[in-house]
Amino acid sequence: MNGLARASVRFRPASFAGTFIALLFAAAVVTACGTMLQTGITAHVAPVRYAHVPVVAAADPQARITTGHGDNRDTETAPFTDQPRLDTALARTIAAQPGVAAAVPDIAFPVQSAHLPPLTGRNWAAHAIDGANTVRGHAPLAGEVVLDTATARAAGVGTGGTVALTAPGGARTYRVAGLTQEAAPTAYFADTAAATLSGHPGKADAIAVFARPGVPTDRLAGQTRQAVGTHATVRTGDGRGEAEQPQLATAREMLTAIGGSFGGIATATAVFVVMGTVSLAVGQRGREIALLRAVGATPRQIRRTVATEAMLVAPLAGAAGILPGVALARWWFDQLVDKGAVPRGAQLSVGWIPMVVAVGAGLLASLAAGYLAARRPSRARPSQALGEAAVERRRPGVIRTVLGLAATAGGCVLASVAAHQTGDDAASVALGVVFSFMVAVALLGPVVAWLAAIVLGLPLRAGGAPGALAAANTRANARRLASAITPIVLVTAFCGTLLCMQGTLTHTARQQIRDGVVADQVVGSGGAGLPAGTAERAARVPGVDTAVGVLRTGALYRASGSLNSASVLGVSGDPHRLTTVLQPGVRSGSLGDLTGDGRTVAVDSLLAGTTHVKVGSSLTLWLGDGTQVRPRVVAVYERGLGLGELMMPRAAVAGHAASAYDSQVLVHDRAGAHPADVQRALARLDVPGLTVTDRAGYRAQTDKDLELNAWANRVMAIVLGGFAAVAAANTLVMTVLDRRREVALLRLTGTTRRQVLGMLRWEALVVAVSGLVLGGAIAWITLIPIARGTTGGSPYVPPGIVLAIAGGALALSLAATALPARALLSRPAR
Amino acid sequence: MASRRSTKSTARTDTDRPSPYAVELRGVRRTYGRGDAAVHALRGVDLALPRRSFTAVMGPSGSGKSTFLQCAAGLDRPTAGQVVLGGRDITGLSENHLTKLRRSRIGFVFQSFNLLPSLTVQQNVLLPQRLAGVRPDRRRAAELLGRVGLDGHGRRRPGQLSGGQQQRVAIARALITDPEVIFADEPTGALDTGTAREVLGLLRHAVDALGATVVMVTHDPVAASYADRVLFLADGELAGELADPEPTAVADRMVALTASTAGPGRLGAAA
Repeated sequence: MNGLARASVRFRPASFAGTFIALLFAAAVVTACGTMLQTGITAHVAPVRYAHVPVVAAADPQARITTGHGDNRDTETAPFTDQPRLDTALARTIAAQPGVAAAVPDIAFPVQSAHLPPLTGRNWAAHAIDGANTVRGHAPLAGEVVLDTATARAAGVGTGGTVALTAPGGARTYRVAGLTQEAAPTAYFADTAAATLSGHPGKADAIAVFARPGVPTDRLAGQTRQAVGTHATVRTGDGRGEAEQPQLATAREMLTAIGGSFGGIATATAVFVVMGTVSLAVGQRGREIALLRAVGATPRQIRRTVATEAMLVAPLAGAAGILPGVALARWWFDQLVDKGAVPRGAQLSVGWIPMVVAVGAGLLASLAAGYLAARRPSRARPSQALGEAAVERRRPGVIRTVLGLAATAGGCVLASVAAHQTGDDAASVALGVVFSFMVAVALLGPVVAWLAAIVLGLPLRAGGAPGALAAANTRANARRLASAITPIVLVTAFCGTLLCMQGTLTHTARQQIRDGVVADQVVGSGGAGLPAGTAERAARVPGVDTAVGVLRTGALYRASGSLNSASVLGVSGDPHRLTTVLQPGVRSGSLGDLTGDGRTVAVDSLLAGTTHVKVGSSLTLWLGDGTQVRPRVVAVYERGLGLGELMMPRAAVAGHAASAYDSQVLVHDRAGAHPADVQRALARLDVPGLTVTDRAGYRAQTDKDLELNAWANRVMAIVLGGFAAVAAANTLVMTVLDRRREVALLRLTGTTRRQVLGMLRWEALVVAVSGLVLGGAIAWITLIPIARGTTGGSPYVPPGIVLAIAGGALALSLAATALPARALLSRPAR
Repeated sequence: MASRRSTKSTARTDTDRPSPYAVELRGVRRTYGRGDAAVHALRGVDLALPRRSFTAVMGPSGSGKSTFLQCAAGLDRPTAGQVVLGGRDITGLSENHLTKLRRSRIGFVFQSFNLLPSLTVQQNVLLPQRLAGVRPDRRRAAELLGRVGLDGHGRRRPGQLSGGQQQRVAIARALITDPEVIFADEPTGALDTGTAREVLGLLRHAVDALGATVVMVTHDPVAASYADRVLFLADGELAGELADPEPTAVADRMVALTASTAGPGRLGAAA
């Protein structure tokens, strides 16, 4: 039997081209996602700054919670939202160990100066960490700084000169005490001054541990571990890179999510598309199978032939898809690095496991699909088979119907689950919902297509001979129509869901900002941010009534057994006057009850819903640096998506944020003050990079935050939508090319070329319109609960996206029909 | 051929003696659908076709010709009655047994699409042997291709052959297993007159020189005239027969049959 399969593949490769293309793209998508997953699991960065430090103690970058009891215990982790830090005091405990020569806390914070590139501020002790440092001059005392030579040259100062520097803790003029050979722009401050300037006194990013002569690294690490106990993790070798770049934990989680959640959906879609294409290809060979049955092939022999063909085509196509897949992963990864979501220095890990999985998944999918598709024609009596080759069966089987209804029900259940998800998880659940509905559409396809053909057939019959022919064709060939509609539904549903979900978020956030930000002026920064005290200085500017500094950071909270991140807005000043610049839409409680001691928090209503808290109850939070707090809820407000899901006084969060700069100062003008005058006065505040805008400036900052999320969703939409589009085009071409005999017959009976093309165009329109309507319906059903979960409202459908998807689907259907049709017509009728 | 058949123990009938008939139909009925929508394609057909005979089956459209052929060849199952092939009742056989039976003891020539386009002519001829797991007899395939006038065409593909040549390959394939019966369903339906004559001549030759039994469904009186006997079907029943048929006699009978079944108003519909 092998001979038969080999002969088919070798001598009629064209009939396997469709299957080959579907398998190739499937393998590419699976390889790409698998490579991302593998990178997420294995990613590391080589230490650069800590390269000469044998042992580094750093805070655990992950929050951990344990859910369940006994055997069901499960640990859930999530990376902290900002920079995890540990107590500087630990350095003394470590230094007390016998093998330790020195334990140096490493503190870094962004420093700005009016005419200099951004600097990194550090404590003087940390200059020992970069082993290559040679210093001219002396260690900085209070009010002094040591600069790197390049920065000093740029500033035009030498030892003994003065330079004005702004740090999160405040701005002042420093005397240059010395110069270092440092490569990066750096400012070293006296150890005590650095702690205050950093904005997080008493906390360090890491502690570098140096060994006494003759003490090996493992013994040093052991002693350090003993000293820090559970307060820090001890890192050596490449692990030091993770202490250097703690965002690696976030990056890993994101890569794992892309590779795992999205990759899972993508793999399922790939399997789905491959199975659809293989069964279409097998179905198109009904005549051949019927002939084989008539001349004495048993059903088993037919199935084995089809399976063998799959075995021949799948590995080749899969292998051909590996390189494009790796290229896709590389592009994606590089983009993530460029966008700062993955730290520089991390490498894409290309391994054989994703490739084997990709090829194997394609092989298994096409084997299974081949077996299933060959089952019916192989089992049928040959006379039935000979008859069915011409006239297709309309009624789908009982099992198929039951499974299809089950998939529909599953989609609805998942959709209701999705209603309880928050932003980050919503996307993957949404894709799961879409996928369930897709399976349902595929299973119930012929029925759905038949209905679509009947409904759309009514107007078609008015469209002259080609329209009437198209109406008859679509109705009589519901199965063929279904295999063309399904991938269009796939494109529409995937792209529609992902893009509209993002659109809904952006739209709602903007609307909330428009309603919630009532400040007259927004003071922003072109650099790292505004130092503490800017708000107070702004408040003293003539014409200013109230000035509130806002600091953006993040926090983790626990909801239904998992850790989720939320945006935190730290607000300065008197909380009673907050509403003059921000109106978050308080539903219950009062923002005036916010206290600076960090024991109170205001919560967005959606977050309050998922965490089941109300005014008066307490909420456990992990702040940006990993500090766990349990503040009391004093207010619940509505506009969290635009303004920030949690609101705490600045003083309570600044020390735990990545940098203690305010991102903006919101200003309310005094009654009667001229806005332009106030704006000019504010612009004269002596802060590097200061900008003054109207309230639209607030939005610009938020948009930047949403951008990465939007981009990620767009890439997913492009990858999945693109894959589905290829599948759709592929299927359409396959179905058109299969109609050679029919087209020849039409030509012989006097149908003109134009009429044939017209007929096919009408059919393509039926395919596109029913696919769009179905896909749109699926996207809408998916979006409703997700929109309710993430924004509390109904989905917003950006008109541009609708037009793009509809136009794309129409153009795709028409082109994928017209091109092969022209090819058919250019051949002489036979 | 007789020796081959006697070695098959499964070919025995209750009389334990080779039947004189290649095919026997006993009260065969075939109904499609149920209730009011039921179509009675065959309403009880009894007949016996002797070995080494060439029988043509004719009838107006819808007379049950194709159903008759499919039931007789084991491609379809009768609703009632028996089909006996080479003395063996095949009515109760499982689908797998029927398949094996078709593979070894029945040959087919269809109106069109007889050959797998991916296989060479020689591979197409050897297909039944290959499906049966028998070692392909290339010498015999070459010999049969020679007999049907396609010497040296064994390595070509069906797409490179004319319609008539393709039908000849189908005949060679039908003959490769020395079958009990060759069933031909409008084998000349898609051919021009000259080519059709050659194909019919080959079928005649298979009966006369190779001892085959041929049952051919056709609507062409000229084609039917190559047979030893013509059976007429109308409305699912036998409507007479004609031995040593002449084209004109066959045509007259067809016109009469068509007129009596379709009524004067639909005369033109029968062709």
